[in-house]
Amino acid sequence: MDGQFIVSLAIILATFALYIGIAVYNTAKATSDFYVAGRGVPPIFNGMAIGADWMSAASFIGMAGTVMVLGYDGLAYIMGWTGGYLFLTFLLAPQLRKYGRYTVPEFIGDRYDSHSARVIAAVCTIIISFTYSIGQLSGSGVVIGRLFEIDAKVGTMIGVVLIAIYAAFGGMKGITWTQVAQYLILITAYLVPIIFMSLQISGNPIPWISYGEVVGKLGELDRELGISEYFAPFTNGTKWQFLALMFTLMAGTAGLPHVIVRFYTVSTMKAARWSGAWALLFIGLLYLSAPAYAAFSRFILMTQVAGSQISQLPAWTKSWVDTGMLQVADTNNDGILQWSELVIANDIVVMATPEIANLGVFVIGLVAAGAMAAALSTAGGLMISLSSSFAHDIYYRVWKPQASEKNRLLVARWSIVVATLFAGLIALNPPGVITQIVAWAFAIASGTFFPALVLGVWWKRSNTKGVIAGLLIGLAVTLGYIFAAKYGGFTILGIIDTGAGVFGAAAGFLANIIVSLSTEAPAQKLQDEVINLRYPEQMVYKDGEVWMHDGEPKQG
Amino acid sequence: MKKIDKAVADRYFREKNRNIIIYFIVWFMVSYGVVLFAEPLSTITFIGFPLHYYMGAQGAILTFIILLFVNAKLGDKIDQKYGIDESKNEQISSGSTLEH
Repeated sequence: MDGQFIVSLAIILATFALYIGIAVYNTAKATSDFYVAGRGVPPIFNGMAIGADWMSAASFIGMAGTVMVLGYDGLAYIMGWTGGYLFLTFLLAPQLRKYGRYTVPEFIGDRYDSHSARVIAAVCTIIISFTYSIGQLSGSGVVIGRLFEIDAKVGTMIGVVLIAIYAAFGGMKGITWTQVAQYLILITAYLVPIIFMSLQISGNPIPWISYGEVVGKLGELDRELGISEYFAPFTNGTKWQFLALMFTLMAGTAGLPHVIVRFYTVSTMKAARWSGAWALLFIGLLYLSAPAYAAFSRFILMTQVAGSQISQLPAWTKSWVDTGMLQVADTNNDGILQWSELVIANDIVVMATPEIANLGVFVIGLVAAGAMAAALSTAGGLMISLSSSFAHDIYYRVWKPQASEKNRLLVARWSIVVATLFAGLIALNPPGVITQIVAWAFAIASGTFFPALVLGVWWKRSNTKGVIAGLLIGLAVTLGYIFAAKYGGFTILGIIDTGAGVFGAAAGFLANIIVSLSTEAPAQKLQDEVINLRYPEQMVYKDGEVWMHDGEPKQG
Repeated sequence: MKKIDKAVADRYFREKNRNIIIYFIVWFMVSYGVVLFAEPLSTITFIGFPLHYYMGAQGAILTFIILLFVNAKLGDKIDQKYGIDESKNEQISSGSTLEH
């Protein structure tokens, strides 16, 4: 047990105590509070909560490493995961808020007036959230395992218990304020090492400006080594794969149920607009910094680590080599470690760089706490959306409409506990790499909910049969392409499994449109409700006429 | 509740949509557009970065953030122009939510 371990543990425990304290303080009492925090969260804090919800273990731990390894091609993740907020904020969030339902399946069920559509949407939500949470749980397992030097499986189990407790007892209100705290911790943990590295390398404390020069120097170093330049485009895949991946991540962002549900927690359409803007500002802070993190890490590795004597490598190399994520092999037996002899896994770049750059025990502990915040906050949001799909959309709306509020809350809590344990069980032995699992969840969201929601809000002619066909065909095409590309070697224009969403979304839109047009139009009342979404709350569309409300609440 | 001309309400809708179309054109150019022309843009240098890399790592994201804030602000302006009162929206909104 060394000093580093004690410092890291103390920081992590202190942050956990804070999250749990907030969750306990806010323990939800009524159903409305449990799901959507009583709809009164101010946009700026809602923006931070969306940010914490959004930035998962993959963003915090994996993204800078991916950019470092892929170079320019890794930037598809940066643009894809931010550009989707325009789809979300312009096309969906305010309108869904005006429609005023609790969950995405509820919107789809009521807008298309169909229990079948509701159940399919609830099942899609469960598939997406569940897939995504497996990645988070195994991510938290890696961090806890590495930190306490215990097996990652034990680490995963610790994460499962923590998530089950605060998601089940806090409800979303607990989570909203917990997530504001988590955002602040994770962004601090991410920025501190980058600012230190920037000072170390260029003497300039503003990394976003100083790393341009570093990127240029990396290109020179690559030219000397005769490998392709760091910033050269499309060295790891085709241009079409870059575009398809970027689209999949953008459309998936706009179709992720646990992110959309955040926009129901604001008071009005105006607040939804502002929440989207604040959210991207807070998220952008991390996404703008990830390529800087990547460039500094690569620069330090190329200039300070590569070229040193194999026998005199610093202490940090040993502990990372032991995890199997770092390989140093003197293949040409000259006793010196060349850049080509150093193989570093994407997922350890963020965690290992503070050690490599010798930033001190406090910064290393802070990064571990930030990584935990990222994994736990996203998993918490996913569990809420999964449990509400089951308890609210399937159990209450379809199965047992006479269930009491107390009963439904109990079902919601139990479904969180069961789903977390089950996801944890799979996370002990994950079916793929974390980033891969996360990308599949995005592809499924872009093939199912993206077309169903966009057409549901913007096209009054879209009907029940159309949405059912769209959801099922979109799901089938997305899953089919993922499997065909991953296991069958089938690709179109070099687009691999992570870009599958582009085909899923196209199929989902086409099926919805073709089937809707070839069957009867939806009831006039449903069409009127869609037209009503064009206007702000105060304007009400009814029977072909628009009324200006003078402000007394309608009978709900 | 008083009735207003549907043409006025539709003008509100069109004004908002026109802005959204403009935002999406800009969004497309800074992300997809730059990727499509990444090779020719890589010969230009901007604050030390090759331009295509700068746009992917910073330029596009900054543009997205600015577009969202412009949308929020101009959306408020359009609301104001058509006499929409946010406090009334809040009242209506809390009443119109489907409570179970």
